[in-house]
Amino acid sequence: MVERIVEELRPFFDPKAVAIIGATDKKGKVGNVIFENFRMNKERGIFKGNIYPVNPKLDEIEGYKVYHSVKELPDDTDLAVISIPAKFVPATMKDIAEKGIKAVVIITGGFGELGEEGKKMEQEILEIARANGIRVIGPNCVGVYVPDTGVDTVFLPEEKMDRPKSGPIAFVSQSGAFAAAMLDWAAMAGIGIGKMVSYGNKLDVDDADLMEYFIHDDKINVVTFYIEGVKDGRKFIEAAKNITKVKPVIALKSGRTEYGAKAASSHTGSLAGADTIYDAVFKQTGIIRAEDFEHMFDLAKAFAALGHKLPKGDRIGIITDGGGAGVMASDAVSKFGLRMAELSEETIKFLKENFPPHAVAGNPTDVVGDTDAERYRVAIEAFTKDPNVDAIVIIVLFQVPLLEEEKIIEILADYQKKTDKPIVAVAMGGRKTDRYARMLEEKGVPVYPTPERGVRAMAGLVRYAEYLRKVKGE
Amino acid sequence: MSAKEEALKVIESVLRSGRTALVEYEAKQVLKAYGLPVPNEKLAKTLDEALKYAEEIGYPVAMKLMSPQILHKSDAKVVMLNIKSPEELKGKWEEIHENARKYRPDAEILGVLIAPMLRPGREIIIGVTEDPQFGHAIMFGLGGIFVEVLKDVTFRIIPITEKDARKMITEIKGYPILAGARGEEPADIDAIVDMLLKVSQLVDELRDYIKEMDLNPVFVYEKGKGAVVVDARIIAKAPQEKLE
Repeated sequence: MVERIVEELRPFFDPKAVAIIGATDKKGKVGNVIFENFRMNKERGIFKGNIYPVNPKLDEIEGYKVYHSVKELPDDTDLAVISIPAKFVPATMKDIAEKGIKAVVIITGGFGELGEEGKKMEQEILEIARANGIRVIGPNCVGVYVPDTGVDTVFLPEEKMDRPKSGPIAFVSQSGAFAAAMLDWAAMAGIGIGKMVSYGNKLDVDDADLMEYFIHDDKINVVTFYIEGVKDGRKFIEAAKNITKVKPVIALKSGRTEYGAKAASSHTGSLAGADTIYDAVFKQTGIIRAEDFEHMFDLAKAFAALGHKLPKGDRIGIITDGGGAGVMASDAVSKFGLRMAELSEETIKFLKENFPPHAVAGNPTDVVGDTDAERYRVAIEAFTKDPNVDAIVIIVLFQVPLLEEEKIIEILADYQKKTDKPIVAVAMGGRKTDRYARMLEEKGVPVYPTPERGVRAMAGLVRYAEYLRKVKGE
Repeated sequence: MSAKEEALKVIESVLRSGRTALVEYEAKQVLKAYGLPVPNEKLAKTLDEALKYAEEIGYPVAMKLMSPQILHKSDAKVVMLNIKSPEELKGKWEEIHENARKYRPDAEILGVLIAPMLRPGREIIIGVTEDPQFGHAIMFGLGGIFVEVLKDVTFRIIPITEKDARKMITEIKGYPILAGARGEEPADIDAIVDMLLKVSQLVDELRDYIKEMDLNPVFVYEKGKGAVVVDARIIAKAPQEKLE
């Protein structure tokens, strides 16, 4: 049986036919960019559905027949994307209801965020939607981006904003501007996004709905949220508890309200800022809180690559070819509440037997600056076998002269596959390092530009694993 | 009578009298209904009653004047500690009433709480607040300067599980003080867990009636020796009052 939420939201992510209401041939207009996105993806063979532009004043755009009204649309239309001025949206919603279209993205702004009149219109739209079983994303949003199916309602043109490749990360953002900037950035950073939803005023589809949907989405294995506020706290908690049992959820929360301090007549009330309450909600529901967008994607990357083999404990083993970087990583281990693994005697003995005298067998293990890939392999072999090590952070300064870059990449990738201990890598450096880091990531090893960020990402995995053990009663 | 009915009786009578802030005595009645550890205290309406209760409890005793208009009792100097004899009690009885009149001439006096002097323990605070989006949240922290200055507290949304309660206790920075720092005996962590769970249950069952709550301080004794609510306040609300 298909879950109701999956059935309801499917047209947003994989429509049979999309109506673009407000499509135009005027370059740079929202209705033109969205139409062009779909048209280009159709040409590339990614978007497989039909495209129906709607505009009363046009007959044809780029060889596509333009429909003059929603009423004229073919019956296979299952998604409507609206970018006409706010005042026309309620009437259009009525036509959409009559036509039997059940999924609508309202890109248009100028609703609840602007005051009473807009709120009234939103209410009217919501009533039509509820009465007719229509799901609405928006208004005041950039909508949906799905690289696999070619759905792209992001009204920022490709020549100004890159689109990321596909991947197992879902990205949900209340803010459209943040969503667009992050997609652009993810494209540059080589981070794959499987589905992006920006819901703006979240009149209907909200965080809880999306969490429920993503439980059942096999292509997504980690969900990231940028949240400004939650409307229905109870529903949010329920949905969050359900999804975090199955896949990790990372949230970046911004915006603080003043209610705590001003409305409180108790001591407790004065200490409970909205932010502390969100902290509580995230802890109780297993949501991992990100400090900033970098942290959010650092975590997302780690979970995307290592979600299937979470650490069994908090004891971290560190291997490095630079002493300073090893110290930084050790500092980060304590800063983020993890423990340095105490290597077993066998490990130390094995390392000493196989290392030149100037290399350091211990935690951190320092293979030092004259290392080759083989010395790393020896260390990794010992760490993966050591029962006292739960997770491994490997610092590779690719700049050292004798290190064979391709070989060390192969070794890390090989152990990532072989061992059930999660491995993250740290590669500090410039352009050349960045190239090797990309190669490593392609092979399933998440790479971070500083020891601190690498360890912090690992800490996210450790905390989530602890949460799962807790809810599963281990 | 169920715990809920017993607690509601107290809250509804406060609401009927046009108040929302429960005085310490009333708040403790509510807590007691749910099995939270409160001292063996009695509310004396007259000096004779006060003398009788003090005898029953055993000297030394503490006196606290209960008035809906005086919620900051120490500011008004209506708390008298370590009263050792009936003679002393008689003198303090006059003094405490005088102080109350000085602080708030219009103060309505419900009585004077006669309480045993409690052995000091490690101080904690347990509180409840209501969030407009997520509902009631419970707070835990160490008392005194830890809460006042360092704000070393943690919150969870109600209801909480036993695991939540234990995590709250261990995750505050001051936890080593409870676990037994510098050779001190560990505190009764199980008693704190039990209190957190009972407060959670109380608020969960009475969520339409309770807005905020402070159990501050609570004395926690050594492992196996329990804990006791020293002071408490509850802000109630009429059930129809909904937060926007």
